[in-house]
Amino acid sequence: MSDAAEEPTLRCIQIVRSFSDGGAARNVIDDVTLSLYRGEISLLMGPSGSGKSTLLAIASGLLQPDSGQVMARDEGRWVNVWQLSPREREHFRLRNCGFIFQGYNLFPALTARQQLEIVLRWGDGVGGREARKRADEMLALLGLKGKENKKPAQLSGGEKQRVAIGRALIKRPKFCFADEPTSALDWGSGQVVIDQLQAAAHEYKSTIIVVSHDQRLLEHVDVSYHLDDGHLTETDVPADRGGLEPWRAAQ
Amino acid sequence: MNYSLATLWHERPRFLPGIGAVAFSAVLIALQTGLLLGLFKITSLPIDHTRADVWVGSPEVLSVDIGRPIQETYVSRVAGDPRVERVEAYYQAFASWIKPDGGSELCIIIGSCLDDDNLGSLDELTPELRNALTEPNAIVIDSGERRRLGVTGVGDYAEINKVKVRIVGEVSGLKSLAGPYVFCSRPTARLLLRNMTPRDTTTYYLIRCRHKEDAHALATDLDETYKDRHDMTVMTSEDFSFKSRWHWLLKTKAGIALGYTALLGLLVGMVVTSQTLYAATAASAKEYAILLAMGIPRRRVTLTVLVQSFWVGLFGVVFAYPTVHGLAYLGRFAGVNIPLPWNLLALAGAVTLVMALLAGLMALRSVRRIEPMSLLR
Repeated sequence: MSDAAEEPTLRCIQIVRSFSDGGAARNVIDDVTLSLYRGEISLLMGPSGSGKSTLLAIASGLLQPDSGQVMARDEGRWVNVWQLSPREREHFRLRNCGFIFQGYNLFPALTARQQLEIVLRWGDGVGGREARKRADEMLALLGLKGKENKKPAQLSGGEKQRVAIGRALIKRPKFCFADEPTSALDWGSGQVVIDQLQAAAHEYKSTIIVVSHDQRLLEHVDVSYHLDDGHLTETDVPADRGGLEPWRAAQ
Repeated sequence: MNYSLATLWHERPRFLPGIGAVAFSAVLIALQTGLLLGLFKITSLPIDHTRADVWVGSPEVLSVDIGRPIQETYVSRVAGDPRVERVEAYYQAFASWIKPDGGSELCIIIGSCLDDDNLGSLDELTPELRNALTEPNAIVIDSGERRRLGVTGVGDYAEINKVKVRIVGEVSGLKSLAGPYVFCSRPTARLLLRNMTPRDTTTYYLIRCRHKEDAHALATDLDETYKDRHDMTVMTSEDFSFKSRWHWLLKTKAGIALGYTALLGLLVGMVVTSQTLYAATAASAKEYAILLAMGIPRRRVTLTVLVQSFWVGLFGVVFAYPTVHGLAYLGRFAGVNIPLPWNLLALAGAVTLVMALLAGLMALRSVRRIEPMSLLR
């Protein structure tokens, strides 16, 4: 299943993040370190409130940690995501990141094709004809050929999630962050979603991190982490991975 | 493909209040201004419905209805200019109308030449009416002013400045703002206005140029030549017409009233439009948040809201135009003239479009509140 490279592409190093809870600060993420590799799907599991979505937000450059570092490979060099300026971080996400959320969050007025086009046109300034071509190719890849002109209200839940996946993958992102992508779906639709993420990992060599409490995903991912009360409690990581050495070597 | 337009169409019930508010503002501005234009056009009727190219009047005259007498000898100042084809005297002044039942009313006497080739008789005075006016003390009134003048129509007698006059005909569409117009010949006017217009004076000289396009230069040259004497003013009919309307607009403070009403309409329109755009953007906050998470610049979302505001403005203006024309048409049945020249409509459209864009700017606070992290909570 794995087509892993020899060194990680995204590292979260000693991440700490606290939130105020009735006046007292509580560490939602407490000294978490993990490494993610290109071409792999990493699953981050844990009960509600364990901090997995917070960790995803920190790793993806959406939420600043109190301490720790997020290092990402970008154009052949290591980038400390939280030392970038907000504008630079926005550009980093634009170049590298795709997102999938539990709610499909599709524009109700736009067709499946337009949901994908908008990312290319607004983000990368891709021309209309090119954006349309690439959107149609991606929809066909997701088994949505013939549904290009359907609006969200005309699509099933599974189809909507596939459009959302298409929106996340249309740019062929180096990193794809998925928050509970299968939670609202029946297993048949969920299977399609995980298949698409696997295809993205293998074909685009994307680094994919999935946050979920769906146990059925375990057998479909390359690496899994378990987060409990802000701590990584157990991992299912190949023996040759772990520690900070690859990143340190890169420094 | 325009995503803003697609959203607008898909969620038209949501955007309708905004479009309605823009339309309301545009209608209000166009109708208010049109009404005032119509109202004050009445004051310049004697200029607009006659055929003079240039008017010569008393110094610094502000409006056609308040001209003071000028010497008849001034005709020699203008008649000799080779650009002048015809000059004729014209009388206009306020007078006291005594109704048959004894009541009184202020009226405006207009005494003009009645020849077929005249410059000063209003277009509404047909050859038959002009012929009838050649009788001594004969007058023509507007049929809409009968009640105001206390008469029943043609054949009735009344008194103006203690001179008995007889109504020999009626016109329509020449109702006045200050006092009913009373049309007559120049000898009758001289008689009726003998106390206000001394011998050897007239109120205006009307000039027709050999070439219409010389009017402006002629007016400027004459005015410049006799400026130092401070005893007459020379204007083209266009300038005098505008000056008369402008004077009334300022004198009656109607312009200020118009400004306030238009501003109020604009404010209401802007608030409603802004709220509409705000609500629409807030409703799509999660979709926009995903785009922001993916690094799409916030200014793209900002631009989308502004483009939406432009479309809301445009649709509002498009809906407003037939509404304005419909209301103006209905106004005619009530005897209200609401002129809607293209430049007025264009101005009302432009002002409301700018208002819609400002509403879009106001609604941008909803864009600032979009936070990608909200998707992960």
